[in-house]
Amino acid sequence: MRHALPPEDLARDERFVRNSFMVRATDPRLTAMPAEKRARRAPLNPDRADGPEAARALMHGIFTGEIQALEGAGRTCWDFPIGDGADEAPFELKLDMARQCWDEARHCEISVKLGDWMGTDIGEFAESVFLYEAACNPDPVLRLTGVNRALEGLAIDVFNTMREFGIQAGDPVLEFCEDWMLADEVTHVKMGSDWLRRLTADDPDRRTRALEFQRVVDKLFSLGGARGEEDDSPIKLARRFRELAGFNTEEIDEIAALSTESRQDLADVQDRAAAQAAATTSGER
Amino acid sequence: MSDPKKPRAAFAPWDRRELPGSFTVEESARRVGNYKWIETRLFEVLGGWVATVPELDVKMRLGTHCYHHAWHAELWHKRLPELREINPDRLTQPANDGIVAFIDAMTEPEAPELTIEKLVGVYRVLIPHKIAAYTYHLNNTSTITDAPTIRSLTFILQDEFEDWRDGEMLIQSLIETPAEVDRATAHQASLEKLMVAAGGITGPGSIGGGPVMVEPAGAEVSA
Repeated sequence: MRHALPPEDLARDERFVRNSFMVRATDPRLTAMPAEKRARRAPLNPDRADGPEAARALMHGIFTGEIQALEGAGRTCWDFPIGDGADEAPFELKLDMARQCWDEARHCEISVKLGDWMGTDIGEFAESVFLYEAACNPDPVLRLTGVNRALEGLAIDVFNTMREFGIQAGDPVLEFCEDWMLADEVTHVKMGSDWLRRLTADDPDRRTRALEFQRVVDKLFSLGGARGEEDDSPIKLARRFRELAGFNTEEIDEIAALSTESRQDLADVQDRAAAQAAATTSGER
Repeated sequence: MSDPKKPRAAFAPWDRRELPGSFTVEESARRVGNYKWIETRLFEVLGGWVATVPELDVKMRLGTHCYHHAWHAELWHKRLPELREINPDRLTQPANDGIVAFIDAMTEPEAPELTIEKLVGVYRVLIPHKIAAYTYHLNNTSTITDAPTIRSLTFILQDEFEDWRDGEMLIQSLIETPAEVDRATAHQASLEKLMVAAGGITGPGSIGGGPVMVEPAGAEVSA
C-alpha cells in the first residue's frame, strides 16, 4: 500500500456523491440571485423556515466529516515511519492517532444513527473532501496542526451549534450525543496542541510553518464565513469549548477575523461567477 | 469471629499458581519485543486501510480495531523496560526476515475491491497466529514471577478473540460467490505459507516445539 493516499482515491460505496466547496459556492442557482439575497444568512435554529432541513444537511456533513477525520487519523498511523525526523512520526504520536481512529469511528457510528433519527439517508447530500485534504500534508507536524487544531476545532464549533439546536428543538438525543462528541473533540485539539509544542520545541521555523498552515486551513474551514462570530453566522465559534481545548483569546479572535475574510472571498468569487454567467448569456444573444 | 493472630498459609488453598516457567527474563523480553513489533505493524496498516475500503461497516471496524492493537503495542512497550530492556527500541524487532516478508505481503493490498484480501490476511492468518503465540506464552510462563506479562496477555487475548470474531463475520458477510471463496482461500494459503516459513509471530518455537529457552542451569525452584 502506498504511503500517501490522495483525496480522489478515498474509497466510498455507490451512495456517496462528491463535489467541491467551489462547485457549491458557484452553483448557478446561487449566482443568479441578487448579491444581497445570496449573502443572506441566519443562525441555525429550529425556528428558521428551513431549520430542520439545514440541520439534516449539517448532520450529513458531520457524518462525512467524521469519515474523513477517521481516514486522516488512520493515514497518519500508516504514512510515516516511526522516528523523530522531519518526515517521521514518534511512536507515541501514532498511538494517539490510533486512539483518535477509534474516537472518529464512534463519531461515524453516532452520526449515522443521528442522521437516521433526523430522517436522512446516507448519500442524500453531497460530500466534499476538503477536510481530508488537510490530512495529506507530508510533514507530520503540519498535518497534526491542520487536522487536530483546525479540523477538530471546526468540529467543536459544529458540534456545539448542533447541541444548541438540539436544546432549542427539545431533542434530548441530539443534545446528549453532540455533548459526548464535543468532549472527544476537545481532547483531540489538546492532543494536536501538545504535539505541536513537543515536536517544534527546538525548531521555531517548523512551528511558524505549522501555524501558517493552520491559518490557511482555518480560513478554508470557515466555509465562506458560515462558521464565524457574526450575528448571522449559521455555525458559531464555540469560544468556551475552544478555551477548554487550549486555544487562547488571541487565537480565537484570529479565527473570527479569518472567517470575515473568508466571507468576503466567497462574495468576490460569487460576484465573478455571476458576472461571467451574465457575460456568457449576453454573448449568446 | 476470626482470630487476626491465627497463622494462615501464604497461598490460599484455591491459589494454584506455581513458580516454574518456561521463559527466562531474556526470552520473555525477546518475545515481548516481537509482540510490540507485530502489534505496531498491525495498527499501522489497519489505520492506513480505513481510507481504502468502501464498505462503511468495515471502515468503522478497522478504525476501532486499529486502536486495540495500538494499545497492545503500548502495553508491550511499557513492559520491555521492566524486563531489563532499558532501550525498548532495541528489542522492538521482527522475529526474523520471514515475518517481515509476511507483513509485507499482508499489507500489500490497497485497491478498494480488495477488502476480502485485506481482512483475510489479518483475521484468518495473523490474528489466529497471535492468539496461538499469546496463549502459549500465557500457559508456559511463571504464574508468579511473570504475572505482569500474564495480566497484559489476558487483556490482549480478550481483544484478540473479539476482534477475530468481528473480522471473521465481516469476511463471511462479504463472501457471496464461489469465486470469492477461491479468492479468500488462495490469499489465506499464500500468507499462511509465509507465516509457516517464519515459524510464527516470534519465529520457530512461537507455540513451543522449537528452541525455547528454559530456566538457567542450576536454578532451583520449588514446584
